[in-house]
Amino acid sequence: MSAVSVRPTPARRPTFAWRALLALGIFFVLALAFPFLPLGDRREFLLQIGFFTLVAGIMALSWDLLARSGQVSLAHAAFYGLGAYGYALLLKAGLPWEAAMPLAALGAGFISLLLGAVTMRLSGMYFAIATLAFTEVVRTVIQNLPESVAGGANGLLVPALLGGNSRGQYLLALALLLLTVGVSLAVRLSKLHHAFAAIRQGEETARVLGVSVVRYKLAAFFLSSVLAALAGVLYAGKTFFISPLDTFSLANSISPLTTSIFGGLYTTLGPILGATVLRVAEELLHNTVKNGYLVVYGLVLMLSILWLPRGIVGLWRRGRQGGDL
Amino acid sequence: MDLFLQTLLNGLLQSGIYALVASGLALSVGVVGIVNFAHGEFLMIGAFLAWAASASLGLDPLLSLPVVALAVFGVGALTYRVSIRHVLLAPELNQMLLTFGLGILLQNLALMLLGGNTRTVSTPYQASSLQLGELTVGGPKAVAFAFAVALLAGLYFVLYRTTLGRQMRAVAQNRRGAQLIGINVDRVYLLAFAASCGLAAVAGVLVSVLLFASPTVGLVFALKAFAIIVMAGLGNLTGVLWASVLLGVSEALVQTYVPGGGGWSDAVFFLMIFGTLVLRSFRGSR
Repeated sequence: MSAVSVRPTPARRPTFAWRALLALGIFFVLALAFPFLPLGDRREFLLQIGFFTLVAGIMALSWDLLARSGQVSLAHAAFYGLGAYGYALLLKAGLPWEAAMPLAALGAGFISLLLGAVTMRLSGMYFAIATLAFTEVVRTVIQNLPESVAGGANGLLVPALLGGNSRGQYLLALALLLLTVGVSLAVRLSKLHHAFAAIRQGEETARVLGVSVVRYKLAAFFLSSVLAALAGVLYAGKTFFISPLDTFSLANSISPLTTSIFGGLYTTLGPILGATVLRVAEELLHNTVKNGYLVVYGLVLMLSILWLPRGIVGLWRRGRQGGDL
Repeated sequence: MDLFLQTLLNGLLQSGIYALVASGLALSVGVVGIVNFAHGEFLMIGAFLAWAASASLGLDPLLSLPVVALAVFGVGALTYRVSIRHVLLAPELNQMLLTFGLGILLQNLALMLLGGNTRTVSTPYQASSLQLGELTVGGPKAVAFAFAVALLAGLYFVLYRTTLGRQMRAVAQNRRGAQLIGINVDRVYLLAFAASCGLAAVAGVLVSVLLFASPTVGLVFALKAFAIIVMAGLGNLTGVLWASVLLGVSEALVQTYVPGGGGWSDAVFFLMIFGTLVLRSFRGSR
């Protein structure tokens, strides 16, 4: 079932864990310093690229969290979109953004529990198909609701996050990425890690061993969707405008999946590195190619599966087993 | 009453295309064991090739159909050689993601080369219609349905009456057993996968006449085909026909009888996927 065949972990290799932590630390120091650099007159543009790189990092890492429990989801765009729409609607109802943000995320998390409860018994491709269909249907529903409710096909206007202060928005995104990394590390270091790995490698066996599969699968779904919804809130607040076609676009399910596989599945560092590389590549390509820049994602996904199944993180832990963070 | 019959007829006609797309997918799933997420993109290629032949050579899509089918058959064979073949023994997840990547690649290449506009093919019989008593049938719809039925009949003939078909069914049942009695499994896989792509392309040609050609036209059909093969049971080719009719007719009923039904009918396939999957998983027979 798993993309990477994982042998039973022997003794943990602390050397690699420290290196991964060090790399994460360096990433955050650099990311924190970025908005304070003298960026010249392209400052706004660079900050925007930085912002969306962080959002992509949150999406990829939260997708990876779910994948660790063996659930390869194509519904990430749905929770991203539900976060964005929930936030916009709560603001419209008169809530302050500080309240709307967590409430929107929790709302998406609640819906994910409903979806998770239904798709729980599905595995592999059945799960993927069901989640893909779920995304399409959420989009259809929002598009067909009366315009006064959720804007219909025309979309909704959203007030700018933090009054449109680019540096503030960037730092908020960075803080949420830090939260995501914190959750990911906490999962990795707690018994959740072992439960997820057991479920992923063989649900029947895990159940026999006494892992309460239902509870852990739902926990993974909830954590992952709340974080994806937070990414959606950031997106809505940054672009001022959300529409069903853009927000629930298949691209928003594909990029986290590709990013995470390219960076290194089931790790904390991998999805973040992947997001940095792919997002910057995407921006560079976006300038030259107007349409179809997702070609890169398709290509990267195919090449990673064929030749680099352990991602870029796997390159420097070649031959090592276990101890990955 | 006439409205009801008309609705049933529309649904039935629509199901021809669905059955064509879904039986191609069922071939790939059942024989090769690959859930091809790029199936819709082969349909899209077919639609665009038909459009190109019509726009540049003035060829009627129904005349260019054999050539287009053959061309996409070749593309499918090539795809099998360079990618699918290398993940046959890999975990299911890798196979799925590989075809998913392929789909994204093809869809966005089309977007890059041709832009996001929809291209329509104009044919002399586009606006024609047949009158059957009180009921009307759109000309292109009837033609497309006839083509779909003919092709499906051909497919079932090949599968159940020829050596190749017998080999395909043998490989589908037991790969190793088939190998042991001297069937060239790799060749059967290649042919089945390429044929599956060819069938998608034929559906694409018909779609270019009925609707239009666009880079994303394949996705919806692929999703519906998934719904159909899930409902039929993976690899069950006869079930595909019934499931297609069920989907086509229920969509037509929703379109006619639910207020604002045009938008909602796109959600029908989802309910079918969900209903079947959930029912089946709770019965414990997957």
